[in-house]
Amino acid sequence: MMDKLKLGVFELTDCGGCALNMLFLYEKLFDLLEFYEITEFHMATSLSEGNHYDVALVTGTVSTQRDLNLLKEARNHSEYLIALGTCATHGSVQASVELPIREKLKAVYGDDGNPMRALDSKPVVEYVAVDFALPGCPYDKNEVYQVLMDIAKGIEPVRKDYPVCLECKLNEYECVLVKKGLPCLGPITYGGCNAVCVRSGLGCIGCRGPLPGEVNPAGEYEILKELSYDDEYIVRKFKTFARWEP
Amino acid sequence: MIIELREFTRVEGNGKAEIVIEDGEVKDVRLKIIEGPRFFELLTLGRHYYDVPDLEARICAICYLSHSVASVLGIERAFGVEVPEEIALIRELGLIGELLESHALHLYLLVAPDVFGYPDAIRMATKHGELVKEGLALKGFGNRIRVMVGGREIHGINVKPGGFGRYPTVEELERVETESEALLRLARRAVRLFTQLDPYGAQAKHFVATDGYLWGEKLVSDEEGEFHYTERIEERSLVYSFAKQSRYKGEAFFVGALPRLLLKSEMLTPRAKRLFEEHRGKLETGYVSYNNLAQAIELVYSLERANEIAKTLLDRGIEGENIPVEPREGEGIGYVEAPRGVLIHHYRIDGSGNIAYSNIITPTALNHAMMEASLLEEARKLYGEADERAMIGRLEETVRAFDPCISCSVHLVKL
Ligand code: SF4
Ligand code: SF4
Repeated sequence: MMDKLKLGVFELTDCGGCALNMLFLYEKLFDLLEFYEITEFHMATSLSEGNHYDVALVTGTVSTQRDLNLLKEARNHSEYLIALGTCATHGSVQASVELPIREKLKAVYGDDGNPMRALDSKPVVEYVAVDFALPGCPYDKNEVYQVLMDIAKGIEPVRKDYPVCLECKLNEYECVLVKKGLPCLGPITYGGCNAVCVRSGLGCIGCRGPLPGEVNPAGEYEILKELSYDDEYIVRKFKTFARWEP
Repeated sequence: MIIELREFTRVEGNGKAEIVIEDGEVKDVRLKIIEGPRFFELLTLGRHYYDVPDLEARICAICYLSHSVASVLGIERAFGVEVPEEIALIRELGLIGELLESHALHLYLLVAPDVFGYPDAIRMATKHGELVKEGLALKGFGNRIRVMVGGREIHGINVKPGGFGRYPTVEELERVETESEALLRLARRAVRLFTQLDPYGAQAKHFVATDGYLWGEKLVSDEEGEFHYTERIEERSLVYSFAKQSRYKGEAFFVGALPRLLLKSEMLTPRAKRLFEEHRGKLETGYVSYNNLAQAIELVYSLERANEIAKTLLDRGIEGENIPVEPREGEGIGYVEAPRGVLIHHYRIDGSGNIAYSNIITPTALNHAMMEASLLEEARKLYGEADERAMIGRLEETVRAFDPCISCSVHLVKL
């Protein structure tokens, strides 16, 4: 049998969801293990034996010096690096807190400060070149499965190229933007979650980040204005998961 | 001399510890939370209340629903909103799903490898495949409930102030009823397995929990009645950690499964109560390692309670009506029992419904001092006796007993 590919999962500063989601693959995780051997995944194993990874999954934002060192290590020792989840691809929620880091630390820890080196939270893609970016807060687990399977079979994984809206249409969900006037970001958000929030009758909050290419945030902005949401509210919404400029 | 432990594995988030040795003795232990800060309180400031629970969910993936519910409770209390029994029961069901998911993950995938001597559950599965499968079955069930109530396995947005986006259907509730019944056997086996754990860590002197089993209006402790956290719990910053440390009347205290059982055993379901009585002697010693046994008993509780709730909701039928929520100026605290212990969301909201103040205290932060005390105790016992690797292994197990969720412990703010 062919040698298994070495897989490393690296977690920077985040909620743990993108790492946890791997464990939520259940039996599919065992299918992946036919092709991969996990040599670094500190949420799941006490072993840490890798100095070379065929595939490295990096979740979270760079928010400390430790994160940055770990990211560089992952990059330097891996063939194929995937920025996994919206923290890693766009910064997610923590990157939307806009004060300078010193002020943020002061607000949280008081005047004593904190000697540990915190950095402004930034996505992985701002520090290193990545081979694939898979957003989602968290990403859809079937998608990561597919990507890893493709790589194992020597196929370059494909990126989706449609917004959440399309998935609503396919599922025949009632449009919450038009019918209920909810501030739904589906039209400009990168599809792939199967419009799961609209299934609950709620508006998409944009957790998968912007659809690259042809999206029209200005159009969405106008729609929300017409629904009488105020500027500040819309701008904040746009900035929450990814730093969208209306 | 300082012994640096490498980063903890098989815990959620990034943390490590330092053992300070002076004159050949263990002088001190520092638990360092090195996960970067995420500034959640700042993130929510000025935001419209309706969007806040979805953002707060992102504090932690393992217990996102506890965060959403605590957030919703804080907001509703600030507005003086009371929800009817139906909504309360569905929320409780969601929290139970989360408890099952989280405890099963922790016990079977993170702790069981210690019991059987493996570095992880994947490698343990070659010999103990059945057991790993049982754990995954429980976890899967918990997650299906989270999808049903929360909207997604992780970071769903279905739990809202005043109700839900979508209500569970009759078929879904029927499935909960049958599956919870069927899985009870596995949970009872888990209790037998985790009774084998040795006593280790410190013996807790103070226990704190919410006044209801999975949430409450106030907190309770072993020595006094109800209180608000501001009356007895103090937080302070540490120079070596991104998480603050909390103390109860100046001392270390314990929140989590063991404190819940000890303080609220009369609220348990019948079979869980019997198991509690059977192991009461052990549990009452207060050793932190018995937290894992307590978690196993809570698996039984959760399944029985999920069954009861599903039955009740099926009997009375689901109306699926949300309560109207009118923003007004106010202040509210949401207390929830996340799987790993008391979780506090405290807000002040202005007249237009925007957050003006927020404070969040997570169980890992509340347990921080207790974790240090436990590490100190173990390190003193083992230093010079066991070889360094064995000592470090046991120290990791000691931290693991708390089921700490490190990434969620670093968001505290005082304004
Ligand atoms: S992208 Fe979302 S789910 Fe993933 S680690 Fe970040 S906050 Fe958690
Ligand atoms: S519908 Fe929107 S908010 Fe919900 S999962 Fe999909 S991208 Fe995220």
